[in-house]
Amino acid sequence: MRRKFFTTLAAMLCSSAVIADVNVGNPMAITGPIPDLVAPMVKAIDLAVKHVNEQGGMFAAGESYNMVRADTGCDPAGAVDAVTKLINVSSVSALVGPVCSGGTIAQAQSVSIPAGVVTLSVSASSKDITDMEDGTDLVFRTAASDAYQGVALANLALAKGLKDIAVSYANDDYNAAIAEVFTKAYTSAGGTITANEAHEPDKASYRSEVATLGNTSDNLALFAYYGSSGITIMRNALETGAFASFLGADGMLSDEVIEQIGAENMGGVTFTTSASDDSSVGYAAWAAVTEGSGIENIGGPFVPNSYDAAFMMALAIEKSGSDNRADIAEALRSISKAPGTVILPGEWKKAKAILANGGDINYEGGAGPHDFDKNGDVMGFFSQSSVVNGAWSATLIK
Amino acid sequence: MDAGILLYVLSLLTVGGIYAIFALGLNVQWGFAGLFNVGIAGFAAIGAYTYALLTTAGSSYHLGGFGLPLPLGMAAGMVTSAFVAGIIGIVCIRLRSDYLAIATIGIAEIIKLIFKNETEITNGPRGINRIPRFWEHFSEERFYSSWPLSWFGTPESWEGFFDHLPNWWWQPFFAGTVLIVMLVIYVMLERARTSPWGRMMTAIRENEPAARASGKNVTARRIEAFVIGAAIMGLAGALFAQHLRLIEPTNTFDPSKVTFLVWVMLILGGSGNNRGAMLGAFLIWTIWSASELLITGVIDVLIYTFDGVDMGPLRTRAGFLRMMLIGLLLQVILQKFPRGILPEVRPASPKGIKTKSAG
Repeated sequence: MRRKFFTTLAAMLCSSAVIADVNVGNPMAITGPIPDLVAPMVKAIDLAVKHVNEQGGMFAAGESYNMVRADTGCDPAGAVDAVTKLINVSSVSALVGPVCSGGTIAQAQSVSIPAGVVTLSVSASSKDITDMEDGTDLVFRTAASDAYQGVALANLALAKGLKDIAVSYANDDYNAAIAEVFTKAYTSAGGTITANEAHEPDKASYRSEVATLGNTSDNLALFAYYGSSGITIMRNALETGAFASFLGADGMLSDEVIEQIGAENMGGVTFTTSASDDSSVGYAAWAAVTEGSGIENIGGPFVPNSYDAAFMMALAIEKSGSDNRADIAEALRSISKAPGTVILPGEWKKAKAILANGGDINYEGGAGPHDFDKNGDVMGFFSQSSVVNGAWSATLIK
Repeated sequence: MDAGILLYVLSLLTVGGIYAIFALGLNVQWGFAGLFNVGIAGFAAIGAYTYALLTTAGSSYHLGGFGLPLPLGMAAGMVTSAFVAGIIGIVCIRLRSDYLAIATIGIAEIIKLIFKNETEITNGPRGINRIPRFWEHFSEERFYSSWPLSWFGTPESWEGFFDHLPNWWWQPFFAGTVLIVMLVIYVMLERARTSPWGRMMTAIRENEPAARASGKNVTARRIEAFVIGAAIMGLAGALFAQHLRLIEPTNTFDPSKVTFLVWVMLILGGSGNNRGAMLGAFLIWTIWSASELLITGVIDVLIYTFDGVDMGPLRTRAGFLRMMLIGLLLQVILQKFPRGILPEVRPASPKGIKTKSAG
């Protein structure tokens, strides 16, 4: 055993080119503020890698598809450092990730765009990413921009007959952006925003904030993460009876909310999340391949998006015929849109055979069809969830 | 592969150099004058935001984007940071060291909250992006089509010229610029340290009543050290913004990653010693950054060695493991070098040297 250890060590130190593999970088926010959200995303990415490698690997030679993982800590400086190492030391062909929008923008502008490496983010939803690039086509994402979810939520609020609403958002990049889009869409569709206040996350009590907002309206649009401030605000609001109905976005959707608040108190609660059209063939295939995989919440925030990103990156590299950085962007656009044979999650063997014969494919993932627009963005689907019989029940917003 | 590692070393030098400038700034405050400043992140943020607002192209997200020349932005970052430090100094400098620490923590948080909530000016928590980086910015159209580059060629010829360069061409230049700035500051601080001003600072730090008794204006001198240190930190903040190209108040200027790290760098390198400050910065940053490669490598080797055992949990916990190991390593180094790797050396006074040579 010891001998084997040292020979492997020696082999790895001497040359990393011994094993001809396809290496893709995978910067994820493993540490930092949202490890709970990221853990199932990591599992989904590993599942996609497993599917590729079990069904014949990459190219004719069956090379192994490797995810070189790095930790960004959800922080711009951490993301820039992690991606610098991935691109320069690990010599990855492309990037699947990062998670957080700030880190995604910083690493793209500081490292990956100058180096000409494609980024396919799994969950960065900031609308700043849409108009970030000039003259290059290197940044893609499988998560829909906040701009879409904010509009969907505004329409939902009006459809529920809420004519006025107070807005409270956690003061971070994600929630500030979605609150801004929501406010604009809601006002322009005829609703009234009675108050619009940022709150600092991780406080022990939000009674004064809730009291201020509660004087203006019976409805609250809450943009926060359940862990940092969302649950506390809901509890304070219910205790004081300040609000009758709550609307929120995906950071709030968690079973922990039901456990902490109690299902009987959640009659007026509706949260949206970027969701998958679960009537679609892509989602059915995703549900089928995740059986027995150990991924618990398969429709969880950005979980199918993560699988799709890792799988599409493999398809793009297979399509381009080599792991050459420069060809991946074009191939990524080609494998994701019509025309072509529809490929669903888990169908690596089928896709590989078609690509080998020079055919076209069109990947339809668990999270959506992923047809990239000119900015590398995808259209999103959203679902609204409310509590039915003590558990979240989701319906898709068309 | 080899070229890639060289580029990684350049990035280590760049970031290490930026942290070295932070550490030199802190050395003026803590090493020279004994001022316990725990608000480094605040001064870094002031420098970074001033630079970003003045030099970015016009934008609808934040105030301006004034598109000013980059050196002007960096100078402004220094001046703003020094100005804020001056005001804080006048109010707080009389506080004893531990009280000054509490005051500066609070001030850094206030600065951060201002940047976070003045959404009209700073774009709030979403931050400012597309910050121009020195040298690389010349390949942006708004720079190559204006002076000074327009004196030497037409925009079209410059565009062609930049297209022909390898995409990493600016990296050595940017790293070099950071290192030159660091060296200039080092030389200036080293002169200050060995001058009468430096000896007076040591006297104030070691025995304030004695310095006061011999007629030194202790308060003014301490404010002076605080302002000089903050100006250097503001400059480092401006360079930090160039390196990241996106700054936002929450994670970029997280005290655990700016303030804490710079303190560890200075203490470990040797406070009071300018060379120690720089050594500490490069050493800690290299450990901080390269440890990830090392841990991933070790886990890979373990996986190849123990084929049958599932190492998945180890791999998913690598990030947390790394943070713990860094902490442990810092403990060991600090225990081994309690006065820092390069301890402070007091400059001999001119009179002392004379006596020595005479003897």
